[in-house]
This record gives sequence, structure tokens and C-alpha cells, in this order.
Amino acid sequence: MRLSNNAAVLMAMAAIVLMASAASAQSVNRLSDSQPDMQGMYTRTGVKALEAEPPFNPIDPGEKNPFSVSNREDGLGPYPRIFGQGGNVLRGGQQRAQRRVGIIFPENKKLPWRPEEDVRRKQFLLEMNPAKDLRHIELNSRCALPGLFEGEDGNNPYTFLQPPGKVVIVYDYNHTSRVIDLNRREHLGKQVRLFMGDSIGHWEGNTLVVDTTNFNGRVAYSREIPYLSEDLHTIERFTVADGNTIDYEVTIDDPKLFTGPWKVAGYFSRAAKDVESIEFACAEGSQTLQNIFGAPPAR
Amino acid sequence: MDRFKACMILGLVCLAEIPAAAQTVKRTAGGKPDLNGIWQVLNTAAWDIQDHSAELGVPPGLGVVEGDEIPYRPEALARRQQNRTNRKTADPSEANCFLPGVPRATYMPYPFEIVQTQDSVVIRYEFAHALRAIPMGTRHAEGIPAAWMGDSRGHWEGDTLVIDVTNFNDETWFDHSGNFHSDALHVVERFTMTNADHILYEATIDDPKVFTRPWKVTMPLYRLVDKNAKLLEYECVFYLQEERYKNAPFK
Repeated sequence: MRLSNNAAVLMAMAAIVLMASAASAQSVNRLSDSQPDMQGMYTRTGVKALEAEPPFNPIDPGEKNPFSVSNREDGLGPYPRIFGQGGNVLRGGQQRAQRRVGIIFPENKKLPWRPEEDVRRKQFLLEMNPAKDLRHIELNSRCALPGLFEGEDGNNPYTFLQPPGKVVIVYDYNHTSRVIDLNRREHLGKQVRLFMGDSIGHWEGNTLVVDTTNFNGRVAYSREIPYLSEDLHTIERFTVADGNTIDYEVTIDDPKLFTGPWKVAGYFSRAAKDVESIEFACAEGSQTLQNIFGAPPAR
Repeated sequence: MDRFKACMILGLVCLAEIPAAAQTVKRTAGGKPDLNGIWQVLNTAAWDIQDHSAELGVPPGLGVVEGDEIPYRPEALARRQQNRTNRKTADPSEANCFLPGVPRATYMPYPFEIVQTQDSVVIRYEFAHALRAIPMGTRHAEGIPAAWMGDSRGHWEGDTLVIDVTNFNDETWFDHSGNFHSDALHVVERFTMTNADHILYEATIDDPKVFTRPWKVTMPLYRLVDKNAKLLEYECVFYLQEERYKNAPFK
């Protein structure tokens, strides 16, 4: 898949974003298997992006709700009363600066929806609140694995680990993790379908390029794009910019829903030293489905 | 002709004849045994950690508890029996897909992946995408909420990875037969590679509210040596919801 160079033109950003201080001159360390060292804990910014003219979302009516995850510009996400200033604490000591975030291709942020699929997803959104059935409950509310995009921007950090031949990303969010295999060339067989997809990667200089397929057709991009299809194919680029920053870019190719690929940028900022994860249990305490649908018949 | 002679005559290397300790265990750049890989038990401890005969849906098995005795306090036995009676709906993991706790996560009948780097160990479990971050050489956190998987801290004793786990809630069971613990549970796990593809796993369980003394489970962990071994996803909760809420809404 190819995109024009225009896609890489820097966008002015609406959001306030943060990056490490004066770090661009720092060199990148290498590990014993020669991978550039990207290990450590980071927070993510800018990946949960809003398309131009987003549809009305009855779950997260952005235009009315100042706490909407889509509207908030401080990266604090949808649960400010629970998580408070967590993101800012995690990013302790880092100065504000500008990096690319959000939809960077097409530049006008109008996603190349197939018209009939755009109609279908808008109808789907309307049927999410009240939820028509289980299919219309977002995965995050079901405590299922979130896919590549629906983890948190802001509060819940991501830890990168690099054992030989792999990059492992551990999310705080819902004890999620994903493994990117560096020594494999072929994807898993087509019958194997995964929430997190099947990721194989390689390094191009300081950029980890990750090719992911085998998605299960259930994971969302955002609250406005509540599902992507089984044909979803992503190419992510994690660029180790300096010791404290990883630039992120993902090309989203889903020919069932879109006439062409689109592209989102974001970045990871190193968390303050000595921050540790604590358990994010989800299903264990969740009453969401019972509250929405009533109690299921006794087993 | 015995096997040793056959090896000698044919000039073959018969690995089975070499004592385990003499075999090379792969090591990390830092010189520690390299536990990276996908592992799984070959036992029936998830159903019952003690000796048990078969039942419908329960494979028979020899226990993994040293001495096969779990030293319950007398007053705790009634709860254990009640758990067993209600296990089809009350087992937090098997019936409700909740995080399995420690050590049960190790012997659920699903593989898990050890991710080991210089400073850190993470264990990813296929069951319920359970996950443990195990910081090395650090102290237990204080004042954090009790956790399903506990608070794990690792260190090396020679070639053995030792993980000290505290800060549990009292919600998980040790197996499907209803063996349980309180929030005073303290588990010390030991991972010792005995050769390239086996780990000796030992977990000492101490919980003075429920047991009269510490006790121990022991079992080998087997590396998944399949060429294409890969940890996949068993999204237990998702499938359970698909079953229970397939005709929703109910009100």
C-alpha cells in the first residue's frame, strides 16, 4: 500500500500535546540483538482521532458533552473523575511541544468511506444507545481485548519490552498485551481471527514497521467508527525519535469499508521514572451488561 | 542391547542419557537462564490440585500438592466443601471467566508466554488475556488495591527465578474443586530450568487465615516446541457473554 508524500506533511494541531524536553539530539541505544532500544513505559497521545464531520454518536455525543473522549483536548480521556490528573502525573517533567497527531491522510480528515458502509455504520451507531442487542455494545464495555486503537490515549500507560526477536507491548488498560514477531515473514492462517490481530515486524533504521492482519471484524477504531472488518490490514510505524519519544503512524486499510487507506499519527512519551502498573481488572467487577439488558436467565 | 550401548555404538548423542544439569540452558545476554518462550503444564491441576478420579468433563489426575494434603484449618473446610458443591456456577475462573490468580494461572489448561528482559519479566496468559508484570529487584507496593493476580516482585537466586506474590484479594480459587484462600495469601514461586525445554515450577502457599502451615505445589512446565508456536487469544468473558446475552435485552 502506498500513500503520497503529501500524507507526511506536518499538520497544525488543535490538541495540546507534550513531548520530552530537548531530547531530539539524543542518540538511540541498541540492544544485544541490535534492535534500537525503545523499552520502558510511555503514555500515548493522538491516536484516538476524530474524522471531519463525525457522525452523531448517542454513546458519546461529542458536540454536547465537554467530557467526551473525542472533544477533550487534554488527553485525560472519558473518565476524568476516576483518573483525575493521572496522565499528567505519568508524564511528569515533560514539556509541551508539537508533534503530529490525529488523522494525517487524507489531509481534510474526510475518511474514504464506501457510501453504503458509511450509512451502515451511522445506523449501527444509532442502535448502540439504547443497545439493540449484544452486538451493539462496544467491546470496551464488554472488557474484551481492545484491538490496536481503543486502548487509552492519556492515562493508561504502555510498556514496551524487547526480548530477542520480539517487541512486546503491555497495556495497563484491561491487562492487554500484544507481541510483534520480528523473525516471522508469513501471517497466521486465515482461519485464525484475533482481537489484537497477528503482528509481524521489522526494523528500518530506528523505525519499527509492523504489519498486522487476521483481525476478527469486531474491534473498533473509535466510538464513531464502532467496528472495522475482518479485512482490516494495518501498517504501523513506531519511530524511536529520542530517548523519551516514539512517534507513531498507522495506515488503516480496510477495503470492505473504505475505498482507500487512511492514516493516523500519534506519539508515545516516556512516563515519569518509577511509575508502576497496577492491575486493571475489568470483567471481574463489571455489571454493565446486566444494567443495560437486565439479568440473563439463571444457568 | 541397552540404550546406552546403542548410543555409543551408533555414535549418536542421546540426550536422555545426559544428566539434566549438564545440558546447556540458553542464557540471556545478562547471563541468566533465558525463560523466554511459550510454556504449558501437562496435568489436570486446573480441575483439582489433589489426586482425583475422573468425572464427566473432569480428566483424572495425580495431584501436584506435595504429600497430597492441603492443611486447612478446621473452620475453613466447610467453605471448601461448599465451593466444591457449587463449583459449576461458583468457580470464578471456569464458570465466570475471571482472572485465575496465582498459582492457578500457571496450570490452567492454556499456554502462557514468559517475556524476559534484562530488568523485567512479564507473563502473558492465553486464558482471559491475564497478565502479570513482575518488576525485578523491587519491593512490594504499599497501599494499592488488592488484586486478582496479586503484586509480583522477582529476583534471582542463582539460576532460579523467584517471584514473591502478595496483595491478593480473596476471590480466586486454586482449582475447579473449590480449594480457596483468603486475602492473607502469600505465594512464592520458583522457576528453575532443568533443561532447554523444561522448567521446574514450585509454588509455596502460605495463608494463615485458611491453612495451618505453608504447603507447596510442584510441576514441570513444558516448552511449546512446535515450530509455529504462538500464544493466541481465549477471550473467555466475551464467549460467556455471547452465550448468556444472546437473547438480550431481557427487560
